[in-house]
Amino acid sequence: MTATTAPAPPDELDPDAAQAAIEYCYQQGWSDGLPLVPATRSLVEKFLAAAGRSRHEVIGRLPQLEREVTVELAAINAAMAGCLPEYFPVVLAAWEALMLERSTQGGGWQSTSGPAPLIVVNGPVRKELGFNSAGGVFGPGFRPNATVPRAIGLIVRNAYGIHPHELEQATQGLPGRWSICLAETEEESPWPPLAAEAGQAADASAVSATLLRTCEFVDNRHTGSAEQLLTDFADTIGRSGAWIFRYASAGIVFCPEHAQLVAGAGFDRAAVRQFLAERSGRSTAGLAAVGKDACDDNGVRGPGAGGSGDFQRMLPGDAAQHLLIAVAGARNAGISMVVRLFAGWSGTAVLVPVLRNTAASNKENS
Amino acid sequence: MPNAILDPTGRASRVPASAPGLDLALRRSDLAGARVGLMDNTKHNAALLLAEIGKLLASEQGATVTARATKANFAAPAPADLVERYRAACDVVLTGVGDCGSCSASAVADGIAFERAGLPAAVICSDAFVVTADAMAELRGAPGYHYLQTPHPVAVLTADQVRQRAKQLLPGVVEMLTAPR
Repeated sequence: MTATTAPAPPDELDPDAAQAAIEYCYQQGWSDGLPLVPATRSLVEKFLAAAGRSRHEVIGRLPQLEREVTVELAAINAAMAGCLPEYFPVVLAAWEALMLERSTQGGGWQSTSGPAPLIVVNGPVRKELGFNSAGGVFGPGFRPNATVPRAIGLIVRNAYGIHPHELEQATQGLPGRWSICLAETEEESPWPPLAAEAGQAADASAVSATLLRTCEFVDNRHTGSAEQLLTDFADTIGRSGAWIFRYASAGIVFCPEHAQLVAGAGFDRAAVRQFLAERSGRSTAGLAAVGKDACDDNGVRGPGAGGSGDFQRMLPGDAAQHLLIAVAGARNAGISMVVRLFAGWSGTAVLVPVLRNTAASNKENS
Repeated sequence: MPNAILDPTGRASRVPASAPGLDLALRRSDLAGARVGLMDNTKHNAALLLAEIGKLLASEQGATVTARATKANFAAPAPADLVERYRAACDVVLTGVGDCGSCSASAVADGIAFERAGLPAAVICSDAFVVTADAMAELRGAPGYHYLQTPHPVAVLTADQVRQRAKQLLPGVVEMLTAPR
């Protein structure tokens, strides 16, 4: 059996040198398990030029570990993750959006729940950089969607020094950790962009992000009733499994079909949230059956007296911070993702600066 | 000459901030008359476990619990003013329970901070978090720092089982807080 070969690469490429460099990166303990792009000074300078910010600017601190992240360290990790230089402003915006989340300032990165960032990209930058907003939006196959969250993971690993089995204590970790970055399909969405709901201009390029506990989809393609459909979402959102404190926050990444059906019945985002805030939860008796009907002084759920049929709401309210709503995916079936937020969502979106001419900004940044 | 590969950790050029090694606070020979501080970290059963050990220290060692507080943010080391409050009010401190990814690490950081403030400390961690606790000790310049381990899990124990754990831990607590004879 002979191996088939791709069209011959240009003569100057040296795969042996590339392999040796990749192995060197593994040996240093820098990798998340997949090959890294070895970052060189010339490559990283392109990233810094694309961002147009001081390399020394500190963009993250974790005092308990005595570690900090500078723009330059972020650039090295983004280059290693396989980002193109022009993705780097999106990486920085995603990182800054995550820094606005309370959970990332505390123990979130070290947590036994092994949370995954959810990164949502809005605006013209989606098309300019080729972000997937359509089919398979939670899955692989698209360089910006795959490498931007990987860059975040490498920053946490390398710049913060949080390694699995050491300072990172995920019991199992969330599938999709360091790989969930989706562009909203604004073209198919019946609602304004998520970033607009978070206060940015409707045509702004911006990134929203938070940490997730877990994801579970709702497959419902045979009802034409918005109320039935939303009730299906309420049931999934209100499950007890991931519900450990008095309240829990969630999100929905609606597929276009579901979003359009619900919007067609007159629901805007606020109305969807109100509907779901009232209906997502369990009876006290139902929670008692799983040992989660009571809260201790710290708001942690555990076994209580049980018994009653009172309904306990899961969402702390109907604000966007407690139920993030985005739209993404193919318009080919009624399958949407319910996500569970690690804590809440800050309700903010961070602007991606208009992309600069790399050559011009190279000078001013040097 | 080939291009150098850049280090993504930012540590290559760094000198360690604190000199390695920790001088433990001076120990008394016993705990008779000692003022004991308890600092729990909101983790389920932590306050009860510390309180039970406190009772045993009183009844069996002649110590008195003179301060107790809950560290609200279990993920972060205790703020300096909280450490100072214990320094003013106690002779020794008992803290825990390190029972999660970030809180085990920060419990060890607290123990080291108490020692550096001159307070003998006993830190209790679940034995499932030894690696992260040790990693924090190293970060704080105290590799090999000793703390007490108790079998995981702690959060599911009944009150009676917590009292059992307190009894099991007591000799280790006393040993850790006093000078070797």
